[in-house]
Amino acid sequence: MTSRFGRIIWTLFGAATVLFMLSPLFLLVLFSFGRNELASFPMRGLTFDWYRALFAKADFWVALENSAYICLAVGVTSVLVGNLAAFAFAGLRPRRAAPALAAIAMPLMMPPLVLALALFSTYSALGFSLSIATVVPGQVVFIQPFVILVIYSRMASFDTTILDSARDLGASPIKAFLTVTLPIISPTVIGAALIAMALSLDEFIITYYTIGGGLTLPTLIWGLLRRSLDPSVNALATLILVTTVGSTILAIRATRYRG
Amino acid sequence: MPRHPLVVALFALPATLIFLLFFVGPFAYFAVMSFWSVSSYRISREFTFVNYLDVYREYFYSLGFTFAIALAIAILTTVIAFAFAYLIRFRAGRWGPALLFITLITMFGGYLVKIYAWRTILGTTGILNTGLLELGIISEPLPWLLYNPGAVVTTLTHFLLPFSVLPIYGSLRSISDAQLAAARDLGARPARTLFDIVLPQCELGLVVAFMLAFFIAAGDYITPRLVGGTSTAMVGNFVENQFITALDAPQSSALAVAILLISAGTILGLRSILHRALAVR
Repeated sequence: MTSRFGRIIWTLFGAATVLFMLSPLFLLVLFSFGRNELASFPMRGLTFDWYRALFAKADFWVALENSAYICLAVGVTSVLVGNLAAFAFAGLRPRRAAPALAAIAMPLMMPPLVLALALFSTYSALGFSLSIATVVPGQVVFIQPFVILVIYSRMASFDTTILDSARDLGASPIKAFLTVTLPIISPTVIGAALIAMALSLDEFIITYYTIGGGLTLPTLIWGLLRRSLDPSVNALATLILVTTVGSTILAIRATRYRG
Repeated sequence: MPRHPLVVALFALPATLIFLLFFVGPFAYFAVMSFWSVSSYRISREFTFVNYLDVYREYFYSLGFTFAIALAIAILTTVIAFAFAYLIRFRAGRWGPALLFITLITMFGGYLVKIYAWRTILGTTGILNTGLLELGIISEPLPWLLYNPGAVVTTLTHFLLPFSVLPIYGSLRSISDAQLAAARDLGARPARTLFDIVLPQCELGLVVAFMLAFFIAAGDYITPRLVGGTSTAMVGNFVENQFITALDAPQSSALAVAILLISAGTILGLRSILHRALAVR
């Protein structure tokens, strides 16, 4: 009796939470194909007009190019740096690795506005001119913790005896790394790279303050939102959504991440 | 894996340098700035406490409001996140992996995109209002859905929920089913099992989830601006305003430091309350 009642409550709660999490994103995608100027019911049929309007904007292509450069630079840097750090932490005892991980994850807790203003003030005090190059380190500092945590948790379950066997059989440390460690962890590394790139593509506040007027896809959205009603925002938002969610799905498959 | 301390240090060096140069350094500089002042648009580097006096005199109400709204968001997010993580771990059975997958993919998809989505849903001519009109449930659009604190709470809870589910789920995963079965066999009611076995073991996950939600909510300025309306200005808006419009970086910095200190104090306080509440009786 109670257990059936409990099951109904849990099912309702689960369904409501999933609906809450997914419906805004679903509606956004749906209305990017809607003929209506405003996202509102009833929908007056489907169209690709907003995508056409978006692709006709010169700004879109500039923003896409900048976003692509930043995304690649941030992805490569944070994976290289994060991978090394994850290896270093995996070499420590868990008791000592935990505070190191907590420290390096601090930028995640910092409100992005504060980090953005701090970086902006520092760059201007040092006389740096802002460009897409100044965006990259600001993004890496809060994206690298994700990479480190994902790869570290993979390394924690890594069977080190097989490395010892390789070394005992005469492999150099580098050869053991290339032929044993790398093939085992490479799906995780690829997954971490995709997560890093998804986060970079999404990032708005730090980018906005450290790019010095240049455009990326999120700063383009911000501009469109502030100007006037422009349904091509729906199309642009959908493109970002599909890219980041798509790469996350690939990343989850690659890393077999289970929480 | 590197064992030699020198190799460990060498491997950790690049990440540490980035952390120091682009996080610790800039933040320290920004925080020091809060003791400087601005006169006729020039920064004077003499030590003063005036910015903090102004924080107290002019932004006391706004700090309190931000604190209340961030607390509401963090509590709501942590409670829903705990229930959902509990559902995934113990109740959902074969649906568990699918629910976890949905949580992971909604983590991404964009901060700005999500705020924008809520604005188009809640507006007077938005999806919810026009949908309800179309269905004949309401005869006039409900104007109070958007531009109020409730819209800010909804939007930020939606954004923060997946980030809070994951750490809690991480702690729940390490609780063994055997312990729960033992508690049940010894006659513990579900509530007793929850308070004496489940909650104490996921204390860390709860604290991380709450902390993340509280800090991000307390420092946000875009959500209040886009869905909060004119009466819902949070401290983040004044931090931005002082920096960009008033060109008073020291005042902006003092406000930012104040909100961070208040957040940290709140979290330490709540953590000790939680710790005492969950201590095994």
